[in-house]
Amino acid sequence: MFVRKLFGALLVAVVLFGVAASGCISGGGTTSSPTQTTKTEVTLNWLSTQLNPPEEQNFVKDQLLPDFTSETGIKVNFVPISYSDMVTRLEGEEKTGKVTIDVIGDLHGGMDYMNSKGWLEDLSNMPKLKNRTFISTFEEYSKINGKKVYVPWMSATYVMVVNKDAFKYLPDGLTKEDVMKGTDKWTYDALLQWAKNLKEATGRPQLGFPAGPKGLFVRFLHGYIYPSYTGYEAKEFDSPDAVKMWNYLKDLWPYVHPSSTTWDAMADSLLKGEVLIAWDHTARIKNAIETKPDQFVVVPVPRGPKGRGFIVVLAGLAIPKGAPHKDEAWKLIDYLTRPETQVKVLEKVGFFPTVKEASGALPEGPLKILAEGVTAQSSTSDALVVMIPNLGSKGGQFKEYYKQAFERIVLNNEDPASVTKEIKPKLIQLFTDAGIQVP
Amino acid sequence: MERSSLVPYLLILPAFLYLMFFVGYPLVQALYLAFVHDGSFSLEVWKRAFSDYYFWSAFKYTLSLAAVIVPTQVALAVVLALMMNRIFKGKDAALYALIIPLTISDVAAGLIWYSMLSPYGFLNKLLLNVGLINNPIYFFGYQYRAREFLAIVLAELWRSTSIVFVIVLAGLQMISRDYLEAAEVFGASYWTKLRKIVLPLLKPSIQSALIIRTLFAMQVFGVVWILAGRDIPVLAGEGYYQLTVIKDTGVASVYALVIAGLSILLGALYIKFLKAEYLEVGR
Repeated sequence: MFVRKLFGALLVAVVLFGVAASGCISGGGTTSSPTQTTKTEVTLNWLSTQLNPPEEQNFVKDQLLPDFTSETGIKVNFVPISYSDMVTRLEGEEKTGKVTIDVIGDLHGGMDYMNSKGWLEDLSNMPKLKNRTFISTFEEYSKINGKKVYVPWMSATYVMVVNKDAFKYLPDGLTKEDVMKGTDKWTYDALLQWAKNLKEATGRPQLGFPAGPKGLFVRFLHGYIYPSYTGYEAKEFDSPDAVKMWNYLKDLWPYVHPSSTTWDAMADSLLKGEVLIAWDHTARIKNAIETKPDQFVVVPVPRGPKGRGFIVVLAGLAIPKGAPHKDEAWKLIDYLTRPETQVKVLEKVGFFPTVKEASGALPEGPLKILAEGVTAQSSTSDALVVMIPNLGSKGGQFKEYYKQAFERIVLNNEDPASVTKEIKPKLIQLFTDAGIQVP
Repeated sequence: MERSSLVPYLLILPAFLYLMFFVGYPLVQALYLAFVHDGSFSLEVWKRAFSDYYFWSAFKYTLSLAAVIVPTQVALAVVLALMMNRIFKGKDAALYALIIPLTISDVAAGLIWYSMLSPYGFLNKLLLNVGLINNPIYFFGYQYRAREFLAIVLAELWRSTSIVFVIVLAGLQMISRDYLEAAEVFGASYWTKLRKIVLPLLKPSIQSALIIRTLFAMQVFGVVWILAGRDIPVLAGEGYYQLTVIKDTGVASVYALVIAGLSILLGALYIKFLKAEYLEVGR
């Protein structure tokens, strides 16, 4: 009898404990209560999907924000967060009406999505930001259906880096000038020939891609080579042009460094001399160029039959509806988009400015090498600018399909036509589910 | 009398609560995520997981890694323990050196081996400088999955043999010298003593070590992730990938449940087939 009673009591205790503990977890979180007693003690919550790697976080917390705090007296709680976590949190806060987020930093696609849900303030009535001219295309992107959704904050792209030694092995008919400026002759076929020459001359494959589990090689697939060959990111996934592209990649792969499938970023491999040509995100190769500015040049990517596909990444700053400290949030946005702050961001983390005044203020040296490459790429006459599609939480699945196609076709030697036919309906389904046009 | 019967329950209460909250609650959550689709019971998630391109190769690689690593480790640990179970100069130092890998996390171990085996790492530099090779040997990359497998085996052997070793050594030291001395009186050779006395008496320790290592092998992750990325998929790695990159919590739960299922199954098999031995030893 007694044992049964005891078990009853135990059960009650467990349930109570469970309820209390789970309550703590869902109700708690990192934020403290937004109530403040004095006016000066404002702490902004800035959630950002950008600047998340540890080094970049340190830069934000140790160098970027202290200046702002000492200038305005406003403290900032920088919260690096993944896109899906941020959307979940914002959705919860907007639905319950208890908004704790003051500023959001995210890519264009994410802003577009959050705006479509009605979670973002219209910023057109905020005071004018002085002494800066936003780059006009970015300014246009940031206004969606006439509403000023976000302030352009940083931009980035993916480029090719060439170790100057590689120019000794250029194929016939291709000059250094062609590569640096991105002329019509700088094609994917020319890259193949060049990579072949390099391997024959040095005995080792000298072309590298960040195709490891956290590498960004998948962006090369959907944002560079796919549009260059088919004119689209996903629409022509299984077309004859796409099959041609996959066969090209199969031809190219013997000249690509075999460790590529384990590399997440290319700076180290470039510096160690493991590869002479690499493709990666500007922020991820910056370190190589800074360490040996005389050794490397940044060049536009090659072109394919349909043009020169490349991705432009645009990050913006927005204020959620019902943000507790809207005016202070605007001050932070003002600070982050000042030309001098933007130059600092470029210097430290390699994201490019969104205001014209900053681009002019660039010092000579490694950054200029990067900026010149980026500018050369975006000003090529056959440019096919691609934006990363915003599929919300399905973004990972989107990338997975391209990676899978790559692994099966190029690494496992399966038939490109049948693999792409098999994957395409699943890929298109992602866009249908999200209600977005297939790019 | 009532008070004394209450005491055992009170004593296990904290552990019970701890397990309920940190094991029971997530387990229920995982079951929910894996079996419930659109609010009702469904095997949809399992179908999705089983049709995943990586699922079966992850399953295969996890089991084959365990099949290679665990027996090698146990054999190695027994040999090492036998060597260490005697008095010699520098024994303490040797013991410390053998146990150091125990203190290193799997990710750190993976990084150590990666930097040793990478194309410009220690091993390749050594071979290049000695003139044995002209070009670095590649250990990593999709084309070299067999070598990646080897690198993982090496790293795992280096990292986690010591736990087996410690258990076996403790078992060895518990064997009473009386048996061995008695055997010597009858003129038994080293091999006879080893076969007839030491190994049989060591069985319980070997069995516990085997169970621990096999169960851990089902969760192998850090070393594989660092050395081979997804070139060699494993169950825990795929679960992590599904959760953090693909954001498919359902499929991630399926991976977790498969690991749990495998562990329970293997644990049960060990206990079923090895239990009799325990009784015999205890007799």
